[in-house]
Amino acid sequence: MSTIIHAVIGYFWLLFTVRFLSRRPGAQMTPFEFVLIFLIGGVIILSCVGNDHSETNSVIAVMTVGLLHRFVSALAVRYRKFGAIVEGIPLVLIDRGQRRTEIMWKMRIQDPDIMAAGRVKGARTFQEIRYAVLERLGSISIIKNKDE
Amino acid sequence: MEVETKPVEDSVPKINNEVAVGEDLEFQRVWWKVERAIWIFFLLLIIADVLGAFGRGWLAKAHRISSDKSLDITYERIERFNTPSILRINLSPAIVHDGKALLWVSDSLLKGLGNQRVVPQPETSAIGQNGILYTFPVTGPTMTVEFGLTPSSAGTQELSFQSPGFEKTKLKIFVMP
Repeated sequence: MSTIIHAVIGYFWLLFTVRFLSRRPGAQMTPFEFVLIFLIGGVIILSCVGNDHSETNSVIAVMTVGLLHRFVSALAVRYRKFGAIVEGIPLVLIDRGQRRTEIMWKMRIQDPDIMAAGRVKGARTFQEIRYAVLERLGSISIIKNKDE
Repeated sequence: MEVETKPVEDSVPKINNEVAVGEDLEFQRVWWKVERAIWIFFLLLIIADVLGAFGRGWLAKAHRISSDKSLDITYERIERFNTPSILRINLSPAIVHDGKALLWVSDSLLKGLGNQRVVPQPETSAIGQNGILYTFPVTGPTMTVEFGLTPSSAGTQELSFQSPGFEKTKLKIFVMP
């Protein structure tokens, strides 16, 4: 029972903390963000399993987290606002070739991040990018100017 | 068996009538405000933790001397679940008789606070009156007893100490989950 309670608290606390990191880890992961993921995961697992290192305990913890995740995902699909809260919303970073500086600043996105995504789409300069969208997953989608 | 289909609708709001993004800047601006408040809250929590508000720090450390000065207790008023700590009691020479000191402790020391060891080793320990009565051999002018605690349940624990014939000292210890 204690494992289940710890897993539930751990899941929501992690979700809460990770959601409040301005830039969602997962996509465009730099070594800097790797440190975060491993460290947070390692710390939360300690309180989750406690002194009980049995197979039963780990299986129960994994099933609890899995079930919770499914439940939260279902709610996110069913209710759009809830989805926006747990998963975030897409944000336009470059609008018709113009930087939206407020959004870039608040989402901690820099020009090299956009240009990295642009190069994947074949853009050689910033001027070739018409739209850049920070997706919910944390990746950046690029739409180039039509004549490029 | 055929799979059910539905015509594609343009359900995702467009930006400049060009790209379907589904951006909601109004929501995002509220979110940034909440985000800012949460990070300030996190910072305050960390400062409180560094100071010991959640145990293992300056605010958690406590010291109590019984009204008749028979017991001088150093302890942590905020403990953490399953985390070891030391509760130290200096016994007054007044409670030593025939080279022995008697100390009664309430059973919450074992049940809630998970006493793991007593240093020095008591000569005898007897269960009774909702607690344990220890007898310690005393050879020097001062006597210090240490209890190694590892709390096994979260919440407030009431703990009492008494040397027979002297005042009872009550402590409240909060165990963080």
